[in-house]
Amino acid sequence: MPSQIVSLVVNGERREFIAAPGATLLACLRESLGLIAAKRGCAQGACGTCTVLVDGRPEAACLVAVETVAGGSVRTLEGVTAGGELDEVQSAFIDCFATQCGFCTSGMIMVAEALLDQNPDPSEDDVIEAISGNVCRCTGYRPIVIAIMEAARRRREQAVLR
Amino acid sequence: MAIQAVHVPESLDGVVACSARGGQVMGGGTVVMPLVNSGSAAVTELVSLRRAGLGGVEVSDGVATIGAAATLTAVGEHPGLAFLRPALRTIASPTIRNQATVGGNLFVAQPYGDLAVCLLALDATCEIAGPAGRRDAPVADVLAAGIATGEVVVAVRVTLPEPGAWHYHKAMRRRLNSAAIVTVASVTSAGVCRIALGGLAPRPVRAVSAERLLSGRPLTPESLAEASEAARADIDPFDDAYASAWYRARVLPVHLRRALLP
Repeated sequence: MPSQIVSLVVNGERREFIAAPGATLLACLRESLGLIAAKRGCAQGACGTCTVLVDGRPEAACLVAVETVAGGSVRTLEGVTAGGELDEVQSAFIDCFATQCGFCTSGMIMVAEALLDQNPDPSEDDVIEAISGNVCRCTGYRPIVIAIMEAARRRREQAVLR
Repeated sequence: MAIQAVHVPESLDGVVACSARGGQVMGGGTVVMPLVNSGSAAVTELVSLRRAGLGGVEVSDGVATIGAAATLTAVGEHPGLAFLRPALRTIASPTIRNQATVGGNLFVAQPYGDLAVCLLALDATCEIAGPAGRRDAPVADVLAAGIATGEVVVAVRVTLPEPGAWHYHKAMRRRLNSAAIVTVASVTSAGVCRIALGGLAPRPVRAVSAERLLSGRPLTPESLAEASEAARADIDPFDDAYASAWYRARVLPVHLRRALLP
Protein backbone atom coordinates (compact mmCIF):
# COMPACT_ATOMS: atom_id res chain seq x y z
CA MET A 1 0.00 0.00 0.00
CA PRO A 2 1.49 3.39 -0.93
CA SER A 3 1.68 6.41 1.33
CA GLN A 4 -1.66 8.06 1.81
CA ILE A 5 -3.12 11.44 2.56
CA VAL A 6 -4.29 11.62 6.16
CA SER A 7 -6.56 14.31 7.48
CA LEU A 8 -6.70 15.25 11.16
CA VAL A 9 -8.14 18.10 13.17
CA VAL A 10 -5.05 19.29 15.07
CA ASN A 11 -5.55 21.94 17.72
CA GLY A 12 -8.87 22.84 16.14
CA GLU A 13 -7.56 23.22 12.61
CA ARG A 14 -7.97 20.70 9.78
CA ARG A 15 -4.58 19.51 8.57
CA GLU A 16 -3.69 17.16 5.75
CA PHE A 17 -0.39 15.43 5.15
CA ILE A 18 1.13 12.43 3.46
CA ALA A 19 1.92 9.47 5.72
CA ALA A 20 3.93 6.35 4.94
CA PRO A 21 2.35 3.04 6.06
CA GLY A 22 2.81 2.56 9.80
CA ALA A 23 3.94 6.11 10.47
CA THR A 24 3.14 7.04 14.04
CA LEU A 25 0.98 9.98 15.00
CA LEU A 26 4.06 11.30 16.79
CA ALA A 27 6.23 11.21 13.65
CA CYS A 28 3.50 12.93 11.63
CA LEU A 29 3.01 15.70 14.20
CA ARG A 30 6.73 16.36 14.43
CA GLU A 31 7.93 15.76 10.88
CA SER A 32 4.93 16.57 8.69
CA LEU A 33 3.23 19.28 10.72
CA GLY A 34 6.23 20.78 12.52
CA LEU A 35 4.58 20.41 15.93
CA ILE A 36 7.59 19.41 18.00
CA ALA A 37 6.29 19.83 21.56
CA ALA A 38 5.52 16.10 21.81
CA LYS A 39 8.87 14.33 22.14
CA ARG A 40 10.13 10.94 21.04
CA GLY A 41 11.49 9.31 24.17
CA CYS A 42 11.32 5.53 24.42
CA ALA A 43 9.08 4.84 21.38
CA GLN A 44 7.53 2.04 23.46
CA GLY A 45 4.78 3.85 25.35
CA ALA A 46 6.72 3.68 28.60
CA CYS A 47 7.95 7.25 29.12
CA GLY A 48 4.99 9.51 28.29
CA THR A 49 6.98 12.30 26.58
CA CYS A 50 4.90 11.92 23.39
CA THR A 51 1.52 12.19 25.14
CA VAL A 52 -1.13 14.12 23.22
CA LEU A 53 -4.91 14.17 23.49
CA VAL A 54 -6.73 12.08 20.90
CA ASP A 55 -10.45 12.88 20.90
CA GLY A 56 -9.92 14.46 24.31
CA ARG A 57 -8.05 11.62 26.00
CA PRO A 58 -4.31 11.27 26.59
CA GLU A 59 -2.60 8.73 24.37
CA ALA A 60 1.02 7.87 23.70
CA ALA A 61 1.38 9.23 20.16
CA CYS A 62 4.31 6.89 19.50
CA LEU A 63 1.91 3.91 19.76
CA VAL A 64 -0.70 5.28 17.36
CA ALA A 65 -0.43 4.26 13.71
CA VAL A 66 -1.69 7.50 12.20
CA GLU A 67 -4.09 5.81 9.75
CA THR A 68 -6.05 4.46 12.71
CA VAL A 69 -7.01 7.96 13.92
CA ALA A 70 -7.55 9.58 10.50
CA GLY A 71 -10.36 12.11 10.71
CA GLY A 72 -9.99 12.34 14.48
CA SER A 73 -9.14 15.26 16.68
CA VAL A 74 -5.72 15.76 18.24
CA ARG A 75 -4.60 18.33 20.78
CA THR A 76 -0.94 19.03 21.43
CA LEU A 77 0.86 21.44 23.71
CA GLU A 78 0.93 23.95 20.87
CA GLY A 79 -2.87 24.04 21.10
CA VAL A 80 -2.78 24.76 24.83
CA THR A 81 -0.98 28.06 24.24
CA ALA A 82 -3.69 29.39 21.94
CA GLY A 83 -3.40 33.14 21.48
CA GLY A 84 0.14 33.23 22.83
CA GLU A 85 -0.96 33.21 26.47
CA LEU A 86 0.21 30.49 28.83
CA ASP A 87 -2.71 28.71 30.46
CA GLU A 88 -3.07 27.89 34.17
CA VAL A 89 -1.19 24.61 33.92
CA GLN A 90 1.73 26.09 32.02
CA SER A 91 2.07 29.10 34.30
CA ALA A 92 1.80 26.90 37.41
CA PHE A 93 4.62 24.70 36.04
CA ILE A 94 6.82 27.79 35.82
CA ASP A 95 5.80 29.22 39.18
CA CYS A 96 6.23 25.90 41.00
CA PHE A 97 9.57 25.02 39.36
CA ALA A 98 7.99 21.91 37.85
CA THR A 99 10.18 21.87 34.78
CA GLN A 100 13.93 21.47 34.60
CA CYS A 101 15.33 19.97 31.40
CA GLY A 102 11.85 20.19 29.88
CA PHE A 103 11.83 16.91 28.00
CA CYS A 104 8.89 15.46 29.96
CA THR A 105 7.07 18.77 30.34
CA SER A 106 4.82 18.70 27.28
CA GLY A 107 3.59 15.20 28.12
CA MET A 108 3.09 16.11 31.78
CA ILE A 109 1.08 19.19 30.80
CA MET A 110 -1.12 17.24 28.39
CA VAL A 111 -2.09 14.62 31.00
CA ALA A 112 -2.71 17.47 33.45
CA GLU A 113 -4.98 19.21 30.91
CA ALA A 114 -6.97 16.00 30.43
CA LEU A 115 -7.21 15.42 34.17
CA LEU A 116 -8.43 18.95 34.91
CA ASP A 117 -10.91 18.85 32.01
CA GLN A 118 -12.43 15.75 33.59
CA ASN A 119 -11.94 16.56 37.26
CA PRO A 120 -11.53 20.23 38.22
CA ASP A 121 -10.84 19.40 41.88
CA PRO A 122 -8.48 16.41 41.89
CA SER A 123 -6.89 14.96 45.00
CA GLU A 124 -3.13 14.59 45.12
CA ASP A 125 -3.62 10.85 44.57
CA ASP A 126 -5.64 11.61 41.40
CA VAL A 127 -2.76 13.74 40.13
CA ILE A 128 -0.17 11.09 40.94
CA GLU A 129 -2.22 8.47 39.10
CA ALA A 130 -2.72 10.77 36.10
CA ILE A 131 1.02 11.32 35.66
CA SER A 132 1.95 7.72 36.47
CA GLY A 133 2.72 7.04 32.81
CA ASN A 134 5.07 10.01 32.51
CA VAL A 135 8.70 9.72 33.50
CA CYS A 136 10.65 12.72 34.81
CA ARG A 137 14.32 12.24 35.63
CA CYS A 138 14.92 15.78 36.96
CA THR A 139 12.35 16.97 39.45
CA GLY A 140 11.56 13.95 41.59
CA TYR A 141 7.89 14.57 40.63
CA ARG A 142 6.99 16.52 43.77
CA PRO A 143 7.08 19.97 42.09
CA ILE A 144 5.01 18.60 39.20
CA VAL A 145 2.30 17.31 41.54
CA ILE A 146 2.29 20.64 43.38
CA ALA A 147 2.07 22.54 40.07
CA ILE A 148 -0.91 20.54 38.85
CA MET A 149 -2.73 21.01 42.18
CA GLU A 150 -1.96 24.74 41.93
CA ALA A 151 -3.20 24.86 38.32
CA ALA A 152 -6.43 23.20 39.41
CA ARG A 153 -6.84 25.80 42.16
CA ARG A 154 -6.20 28.68 39.74
CA ARG A 155 -8.60 27.25 37.19
CA ARG A 156 -11.34 26.87 39.79
CA GLU A 157 -10.77 30.47 40.85
CA GLN A 158 -11.04 31.61 37.24
CA ALA A 159 -14.27 29.67 36.89
CA VAL A 160 -15.73 31.47 39.91
CA LEU A 161 -14.69 34.87 38.52
CA ARG A 162 -16.28 34.06 35.17
CA MET B 1 10.33 -5.74 8.91
CA ALA B 2 9.03 -2.43 7.63
CA ILE B 3 5.27 -2.00 7.60
CA GLN B 4 3.79 -1.96 4.10
CA ALA B 5 0.14 -1.37 4.98
CA VAL B 6 -2.08 -0.48 7.91
CA HIS B 7 -5.66 -1.59 7.33
CA VAL B 8 -8.40 0.12 9.33
CA PRO B 9 -11.51 -1.88 8.34
CA GLU B 10 -14.89 -0.49 9.30
CA SER B 11 -16.57 -3.88 9.72
CA LEU B 12 -15.84 -7.22 11.30
CA ASP B 13 -15.91 -8.88 7.87
CA GLY B 14 -13.20 -6.49 6.78
CA VAL B 15 -11.09 -7.37 9.82
CA VAL B 16 -11.45 -11.10 9.17
CA ALA B 17 -10.57 -10.68 5.48
CA CYS B 18 -7.42 -8.66 6.26
CA SER B 19 -6.43 -11.01 9.06
CA ALA B 20 -6.91 -14.07 6.84
CA ARG B 21 -4.50 -12.50 4.34
CA GLY B 22 -1.83 -12.46 7.03
CA GLY B 23 -2.23 -9.06 8.66
CA GLN B 24 -1.34 -8.74 12.32
CA VAL B 25 -4.48 -7.78 14.27
CA MET B 26 -3.85 -4.79 16.50
CA GLY B 27 -6.10 -3.44 19.26
CA GLY B 28 -4.64 -0.31 20.83
CA GLY B 29 -1.11 -0.85 19.56
CA THR B 30 0.51 -0.88 23.01
CA VAL B 31 2.22 -4.19 22.26
CA VAL B 32 2.44 -4.21 18.46
CA MET B 33 3.65 -0.64 17.90
CA PRO B 34 6.80 -0.88 20.06
CA LEU B 35 7.87 -3.72 17.74
CA VAL B 36 7.01 -1.62 14.69
CA ASN B 37 8.97 1.33 16.10
CA SER B 38 12.06 -0.76 16.72
CA GLY B 39 11.84 -2.40 13.29
CA SER B 40 11.34 -5.83 14.84
CA ALA B 41 7.73 -6.49 13.81
CA ALA B 42 7.41 -9.97 12.33
CA VAL B 43 4.75 -8.85 9.83
CA THR B 44 4.40 -6.26 7.09
CA GLU B 45 0.67 -5.56 7.42
CA LEU B 46 -1.33 -4.40 10.43
CA VAL B 47 -5.10 -4.66 10.90
CA SER B 48 -6.44 -2.14 13.37
CA LEU B 49 -9.66 -2.87 15.30
CA ARG B 50 -10.12 0.82 16.08
CA ARG B 51 -12.90 1.47 13.52
CA ALA B 52 -14.46 -1.99 13.30
CA GLY B 53 -17.28 -1.34 15.75
CA LEU B 54 -15.91 -3.77 18.34
CA GLY B 55 -15.50 -1.26 21.18
CA GLY B 56 -18.85 -1.67 22.91
CA VAL B 57 -19.39 -2.68 26.54
CA GLU B 58 -22.83 -4.00 27.50
CA VAL B 59 -24.08 -5.44 30.76
CA SER B 60 -27.51 -6.99 31.10
CA ASP B 61 -29.03 -9.79 33.18
CA GLY B 62 -25.78 -10.38 35.01
CA VAL B 63 -23.74 -10.94 31.85
CA ALA B 64 -21.21 -8.48 30.43
CA THR B 65 -20.34 -8.52 26.74
CA ILE B 66 -17.15 -6.57 26.16
CA GLY B 67 -16.02 -5.83 22.61
CA ALA B 68 -12.46 -6.88 21.82
CA ALA B 69 -11.53 -3.30 20.96
CA ALA B 70 -12.99 -1.83 24.16
CA THR B 71 -10.23 0.03 25.95
CA LEU B 72 -9.39 -0.71 29.57
CA THR B 73 -10.66 2.81 30.30
CA ALA B 74 -14.03 2.00 28.71
CA VAL B 75 -14.33 -1.18 30.77
CA GLY B 76 -13.58 0.72 33.98
CA GLU B 77 -16.07 3.46 33.16
CA HIS B 78 -18.99 1.07 32.77
CA PRO B 79 -21.10 1.15 35.95
CA GLY B 80 -21.92 -2.54 35.59
CA LEU B 81 -18.23 -3.49 35.75
CA ALA B 82 -17.28 -1.47 38.81
CA PHE B 83 -15.94 -4.61 40.50
CA LEU B 84 -13.08 -4.61 37.95
CA ARG B 85 -12.00 -1.02 38.64
CA PRO B 86 -9.43 -1.78 41.35
CA ALA B 87 -7.87 -4.40 39.06
CA LEU B 88 -7.82 -2.06 36.06
CA ARG B 89 -6.11 0.66 38.10
CA THR B 90 -3.19 -1.71 38.71
CA ILE B 91 -2.63 -2.00 34.95
CA ALA B 92 -0.22 0.46 33.31
CA SER B 93 -1.09 4.20 33.42
CA PRO B 94 -4.36 6.01 32.60
CA THR B 95 -2.79 7.07 29.29
CA ILE B 96 -1.99 3.50 28.26
CA ARG B 97 -5.39 2.33 29.54
CA ASN B 98 -6.93 4.74 27.00
CA GLN B 99 -5.25 2.65 24.29
CA ALA B 100 -4.85 -0.94 25.56
CA THR B 101 -7.79 -3.18 24.71
CA VAL B 102 -9.53 -6.18 26.23
CA GLY B 103 -8.76 -8.29 23.16
CA GLY B 104 -5.11 -7.31 23.18
CA ASN B 105 -4.78 -8.37 26.81
CA LEU B 106 -5.49 -11.96 25.75
CA PHE B 107 -2.41 -12.12 23.53
CA VAL B 108 0.20 -10.48 25.74
CA ALA B 109 2.96 -12.46 27.40
CA GLN B 110 3.13 -12.29 31.19
CA PRO B 111 3.97 -10.34 33.33
CA TYR B 112 1.59 -8.05 31.38
CA GLY B 113 -2.11 -8.58 30.78
CA ASP B 114 -3.61 -8.60 34.27
CA LEU B 115 -7.09 -8.26 32.78
CA ALA B 116 -6.59 -11.63 31.09
CA VAL B 117 -5.90 -13.08 34.54
CA CYS B 118 -9.21 -11.59 35.70
CA LEU B 119 -11.04 -13.02 32.68
CA LEU B 120 -9.55 -16.45 33.38
CA ALA B 121 -10.79 -16.34 36.98
CA LEU B 122 -14.20 -15.24 35.69
CA ASP B 123 -14.22 -18.21 33.27
CA ALA B 124 -15.05 -15.83 30.42
CA THR B 125 -16.10 -16.95 26.96
CA CYS B 126 -14.44 -15.56 23.83
CA GLU B 127 -16.57 -14.91 20.78
CA ILE B 128 -14.34 -15.61 17.79
CA ALA B 129 -14.86 -14.84 14.10
CA GLY B 130 -12.88 -16.41 11.28
CA PRO B 131 -13.00 -17.35 7.63
CA ALA B 132 -15.05 -20.44 8.61
CA GLY B 133 -17.62 -18.46 10.60
CA ARG B 134 -18.25 -17.76 14.26
CA ARG B 135 -17.43 -19.88 17.30
CA ASP B 136 -17.23 -19.52 21.06
CA ALA B 137 -14.26 -20.73 23.11
CA PRO B 138 -13.42 -20.64 26.81
CA VAL B 139 -10.90 -17.89 27.55
CA ALA B 140 -8.70 -20.59 29.12
CA ASP B 141 -8.32 -22.23 25.69
CA VAL B 142 -7.53 -18.94 23.96
CA LEU B 143 -4.94 -18.08 26.61
CA ALA B 144 -3.33 -21.50 26.45
CA ALA B 145 -3.46 -22.21 22.71
CA GLY B 146 -4.26 -18.93 20.94
CA ILE B 147 -6.56 -18.84 17.94
CA ALA B 148 -6.17 -20.01 14.36
CA THR B 149 -4.59 -17.87 11.66
CA GLY B 150 -7.21 -15.55 10.24
CA GLU B 151 -9.36 -15.72 13.35
CA VAL B 152 -10.15 -12.67 15.47
CA VAL B 153 -11.56 -12.41 18.99
CA VAL B 154 -14.67 -10.27 18.59
CA ALA B 155 -15.86 -10.01 22.17
CA VAL B 156 -15.50 -11.50 25.63
CA ARG B 157 -18.56 -12.60 27.59
CA VAL B 158 -18.44 -12.65 31.37
CA THR B 159 -20.96 -13.76 33.97
CA LEU B 160 -20.71 -11.20 36.74
CA PRO B 161 -19.60 -12.67 40.08
CA GLU B 162 -21.93 -12.65 43.06
CA PRO B 163 -21.38 -9.81 45.52
CA GLY B 164 -18.41 -10.65 47.75
CA ALA B 165 -17.18 -13.48 45.54
CA TRP B 166 -14.60 -11.43 43.60
CA HIS B 167 -11.01 -11.18 44.83
CA TYR B 168 -8.05 -9.46 43.20
CA HIS B 169 -4.58 -8.69 44.43
CA LYS B 170 -1.43 -7.72 42.55
CA ALA B 171 2.05 -7.50 43.97
CA MET B 172 4.20 -5.00 42.11
CA ARG B 173 7.31 -2.92 42.62
CA ARG B 174 5.46 0.40 42.63
CA ARG B 175 1.96 1.36 43.68
CA LEU B 176 1.04 2.33 40.10
CA ASN B 177 2.08 1.42 36.57
CA SER B 178 4.22 -1.63 37.18
CA ALA B 179 4.06 -5.15 35.80
CA ALA B 180 3.06 -8.15 37.88
CA ILE B 181 5.34 -9.91 40.31
CA VAL B 182 2.32 -11.97 41.34
CA THR B 183 -1.29 -11.32 40.30
CA VAL B 184 -4.15 -13.25 41.88
CA ALA B 185 -7.75 -13.06 40.65
CA SER B 186 -10.43 -15.29 42.05
CA VAL B 187 -14.14 -16.02 42.11
CA THR B 188 -14.85 -17.83 45.33
CA SER B 189 -18.35 -18.41 46.64
CA ALA B 190 -20.48 -21.34 47.73
CA GLY B 191 -19.86 -24.11 45.20
CA VAL B 192 -17.43 -22.07 43.06
CA CYS B 193 -13.68 -21.75 43.48
CA ARG B 194 -11.64 -20.42 40.59
CA ILE B 195 -8.20 -18.93 41.15
CA ALA B 196 -6.15 -17.46 38.29
CA LEU B 197 -2.52 -16.41 38.58
CA GLY B 198 -0.46 -13.88 36.66
CA GLY B 199 3.28 -13.29 36.69
CA LEU B 200 3.89 -16.93 37.48
CA ALA B 201 4.01 -18.56 34.03
CA PRO B 202 4.39 -17.37 30.44
CA ARG B 203 0.58 -17.19 30.23
CA PRO B 204 -2.08 -16.74 32.93
CA VAL B 205 -2.76 -20.05 34.67
CA ARG B 206 -5.41 -21.52 36.96
CA ALA B 207 -4.20 -22.65 40.37
CA VAL B 208 -6.00 -25.96 40.03
CA SER B 209 -4.23 -27.63 42.97
CA ALA B 210 -5.24 -24.82 45.27
CA GLU B 211 -8.79 -24.82 43.91
CA ARG B 212 -9.09 -28.55 44.62
CA LEU B 213 -7.99 -28.10 48.24
CA LEU B 214 -10.31 -25.15 48.81
CA SER B 215 -13.48 -26.39 47.15
CA GLY B 216 -16.15 -27.06 49.73
CA ARG B 217 -13.99 -25.72 52.56
CA PRO B 218 -14.31 -22.37 54.27
CA LEU B 219 -11.57 -19.79 53.59
CA THR B 220 -9.56 -19.86 56.79
CA PRO B 221 -5.91 -19.07 57.42
CA GLU B 222 -5.32 -22.84 57.74
CA SER B 223 -7.07 -23.93 54.53
CA LEU B 224 -5.43 -21.08 52.64
CA ALA B 225 -1.97 -21.89 53.97
CA GLU B 226 -2.37 -25.42 52.67
CA ALA B 227 -3.83 -24.34 49.32
CA SER B 228 -1.22 -21.61 48.81
CA GLU B 229 1.64 -24.06 49.21
CA ALA B 230 -0.11 -26.49 46.85
CA ALA B 231 -0.43 -23.76 44.18
CA ARG B 232 3.32 -23.95 43.64
CA ALA B 233 2.61 -27.10 41.61
CA ASP B 234 0.58 -25.05 39.11
CA ILE B 235 3.17 -22.46 38.15
CA ASP B 236 6.13 -22.13 35.81
CA PRO B 237 7.70 -18.86 36.96
CA PHE B 238 10.34 -16.86 35.09
CA ASP B 239 13.08 -14.33 35.80
CA ASP B 240 12.68 -10.81 34.52
CA ALA B 241 13.53 -7.24 35.49
CA TYR B 242 10.73 -7.18 38.07
CA ALA B 243 11.51 -10.33 40.03
CA SER B 244 13.26 -13.68 39.88
CA ALA B 245 11.43 -16.95 39.34
CA TRP B 246 12.59 -17.98 42.81
CA TYR B 247 11.11 -14.86 44.38
CA ARG B 248 7.81 -15.23 42.56
CA ALA B 249 7.38 -18.83 43.74
CA ARG B 250 8.50 -17.86 47.23
CA VAL B 251 5.92 -15.09 47.69
CA LEU B 252 3.02 -16.75 45.89
CA PRO B 253 1.49 -18.20 49.08
CA VAL B 254 1.62 -14.80 50.78
CA HIS B 255 -0.18 -13.04 47.96
CA LEU B 256 -2.73 -15.81 47.46
CA ARG B 257 -3.58 -15.50 51.13
CA ARG B 258 -3.80 -11.70 50.90
CA ALA B 259 -6.08 -11.95 47.87
CA LEU B 260 -8.56 -14.28 49.49
CA LEU B 261 -8.39 -13.13 53.12
CA PRO B 262 -7.90 -9.37 52.84
